[in-house]
Amino acid sequence: MSISLKRARAIFVKDYKEFSRNYALSIMLIFPIIIALIFKRAGASLPGASGFLFNSSFVLLTCFAQACLIAEEKERNTLRSLMMTPATTMDVLIGKSALVFVMSAVVLAISTLLFGYEPANIWAFVAVIILSIILYTAAGTICGLFSKTLLEASLSILPVAFIFMGAPWGAVLVKDYPVFKVLDYMPSSQLVHLLGLSNTGYTTGDVLKPLLINLAWTVILTVVSVILYQRRLKDE
Amino acid sequence: MQFQPIYYNGELLLPKIEFNMTPNQSIGIITDLKRKQLLMSQLVDHSHYYIFRAGQSEYLRLTVEELITFLIRVTERNERVALLMDYFALKEERKIKIKDLSSSKRMYVTLLRVFFARQPVLVLEEPYFYLEEQDRRQFKRILDDLTKEKQILILTSNLEDGIISCDAIYRLNESGFHPLDIQDSEEDKQEVQKQDEANITLQKISTKRNDKVILFNPPEIDFIESVEGSILVHVGGENYDCALTLTELEQRLLNFGFFRCHRSYIVNLQKVREIITWTKNSYSLRLNTGQDAVVPLSRSKLQELKALLNI
Repeated sequence: MSISLKRARAIFVKDYKEFSRNYALSIMLIFPIIIALIFKRAGASLPGASGFLFNSSFVLLTCFAQACLIAEEKERNTLRSLMMTPATTMDVLIGKSALVFVMSAVVLAISTLLFGYEPANIWAFVAVIILSIILYTAAGTICGLFSKTLLEASLSILPVAFIFMGAPWGAVLVKDYPVFKVLDYMPSSQLVHLLGLSNTGYTTGDVLKPLLINLAWTVILTVVSVILYQRRLKDE
Repeated sequence: MQFQPIYYNGELLLPKIEFNMTPNQSIGIITDLKRKQLLMSQLVDHSHYYIFRAGQSEYLRLTVEELITFLIRVTERNERVALLMDYFALKEERKIKIKDLSSSKRMYVTLLRVFFARQPVLVLEEPYFYLEEQDRRQFKRILDDLTKEKQILILTSNLEDGIISCDAIYRLNESGFHPLDIQDSEEDKQEVQKQDEANITLQKISTKRNDKVILFNPPEIDFIESVEGSILVHVGGENYDCALTLTELEQRLLNFGFFRCHRSYIVNLQKVREIITWTKNSYSLRLNTGQDAVVPLSRSKLQELKALLNI
């Protein structure tokens, strides 16, 4: 399958204009910043605050934006029309994901600064954020593919929000229900572990384990989303 | 072009269809919604057929110019935006967002997607349905230019829409798939037989339907057409078989204000509302009865008609 940066860029520019003029969607960009400001007031010492900030930003911004971008194209039948142009599946996905990636990265950078979070290991922090953005973009793609309209898309991210944002809190129940131990392997829980490392005293294993688990999640979800994309659009 | 037959509940919905698509030719198929979908569902090869469906919508928040720029980039063409905007006659609308256009203009802009198609065959479902007259003319001009390098198939339920830009028209309905004769060619010189005196006094036109013989008063008839040799009398949107030939009917109906406007058509002049002058066929007559009532008018018959109507 050929990938053309020129076509992907055309899709990027087109989606940027569409997204920025749809205020119902672009208002989502300021939510992570608001959350950052609120938690800064509450004090950075609040346990789990940074984890909540990042996890909720990923779902509300990255996942939601990607799902809406895809669902809106489906709603208007423009995706089907795009498939008859030389633009390939990868062109479309790369163009859209790149836009979501850039938006998420910029907004998260701003909210991290506002919140005043200082990572123990800056490289591990950057790596896990990049992995998470890609992971949640893939999740958003899947949500978008399963919804026919914009409205359905905004509802379809609810399960994602519930599972991914809720996973770190599931740890509370582990004592009563050992089953919930699996929740510890969710990417959001792993992200919380990584963010929670203190500046002093951490081993390479502490950093590497969450990174590897999240890498596995990212690869699996990305592959699933690409395959699903090709399969769902063939039926249309 | 070939379509496989489709049966539904033991009923033949789509007969086996085969027709030649020569380059530089556009073909229209007049049919209903169900059959349109069945036809389109058989054209799955995206590298060969570009399908424009009636439900197509557009990126509403882009301006017209941004949309054309996007379409040029994504299809990797080398045209200049400004030149194309001129060609599409959209100069005045270039800064307007698509959602703010009138619904006819919005549909026109959406239809421009077919201009950028790289496939050799373009299939359009109801292209003219939502367009106002001026946009119809614009789009017909673009389609005519596209015909030079592509084959165009138009699926519509309206004969008039087909006549606008098709060289050949077929009708597909429960009685099968038949070509309609709309071509404006030299009249074939038929020997006009002298009618007997007795026949002229006969006032009813006898037709057959489901083994019943139905008699019509000539003023009831909208128009009469010849489809593959059989004569169909159209009355109030329905059609009935008639055993007479067009020449006989012409003779018989002359005194009732009927006019042989085309090799295959006789029209009731009392029911003509409009002479359409910009269709592929050069001229057509629109009747003021029911739906889908458009009849082709040969170039050579136009003068005769004008004389008859004193215009």
